[in-house]
Amino acid sequence: MTNVTYMRKKCWLFALSIAALYGQTVKTGPDVGQPVPDFSAQDQEGRQQTLKSIMGVKGTMLVFFRSADW
Amino acid sequence: MAAISYDSVAVLKNFADRQHITYSLLSDPESKIIHAFDILNETVPKGTAQYGIPYPGTFILDTQGKVIAKYFEDDYRERISASDILVRQFGKSVDVQGDVVETKHLRLATGASTPTARPGHRIVLSLEIDLKPKMHVYSPGVQGYIPIEWKLEAGTLAKLHAFEYPPSHQMRLKAINETVPVYQGHLRINREITFGPENALKPLVSSSGELILKGSLQYQACDDKKCFIPQTVPLEWRFHFEGLDRERTPADLQRKPR
Repeated sequence: MTNVTYMRKKCWLFALSIAALYGQTVKTGPDVGQPVPDFSAQDQEGRQQTLKSIMGVKGTMLVFFRSADW
Repeated sequence: MAAISYDSVAVLKNFADRQHITYSLLSDPESKIIHAFDILNETVPKGTAQYGIPYPGTFILDTQGKVIAKYFEDDYRERISASDILVRQFGKSVDVQGDVVETKHLRLATGASTPTARPGHRIVLSLEIDLKPKMHVYSPGVQGYIPIEWKLEAGTLAKLHAFEYPPSHQMRLKAINETVPVYQGHLRINREITFGPENALKPLVSSSGELILKGSLQYQACDDKKCFIPQTVPLEWRFHFEGLDRERTPADLQRKPR
């Protein structure tokens, strides 16, 4: 390995171990340009909803939140 | 649109009724959807009632189900506001009007994407500058003149985000053989702030429930003949403070560890 490749590999491993130590790298799911997985779930009125059923004329928005309770 | 959480249908119904929410709140109690999207927060200890929550965030999708934009924060206590998405993603104008201040050289109008300050919310502030006839001011990067500078005294009230001044145009000052970057006529600057946590905001709220963010615009104006003394104009953005919703669902609906 050249010096540059060795240094970059070391930096990458260092960054990875720091991330593992803190375990705090936020996971953000599918990237811009990627499709999201289809899903099926009941809403608050007991109606079954899927990606298709919540889709609007111009697209849709999905908001993931932690809890409606606490 | 839809919102998704690991809450039961009963918890979501209780919340929707209390908050008068008409859009769909989807129940994902086994976190299957959260898992399929790969946003399960695995730093939460298993066996607790909180295990199963996602990293909170928003996806904007096209009609094919492809992601066109996404908003996630490093800190779960911070969240982009709906008003910010409407402005920066969908081009809505920043339309909550504040004060208009006038000087000899220009008129300033403050604005915000929302009239409400909520802990952790990221919103958009605007400053509109209307220069009087024949007046120009200088853009950042100019040499030898004081450029415009929009300052905010955020303190613990808010986090300030990096922002850009609009593009300027080059003006030729024939008399002194100089070309300088200037603004003339009308310009508008938008910038984002994220309100601090509730315990930082509460002490700053007035007895009438108002939260004030102070700032200023520094500028040096010149007309076609001479330059004027640099000015600093004090400005204010006023909000109505709304604290976090701490109301819980009835105890019998609350999630138990699984």
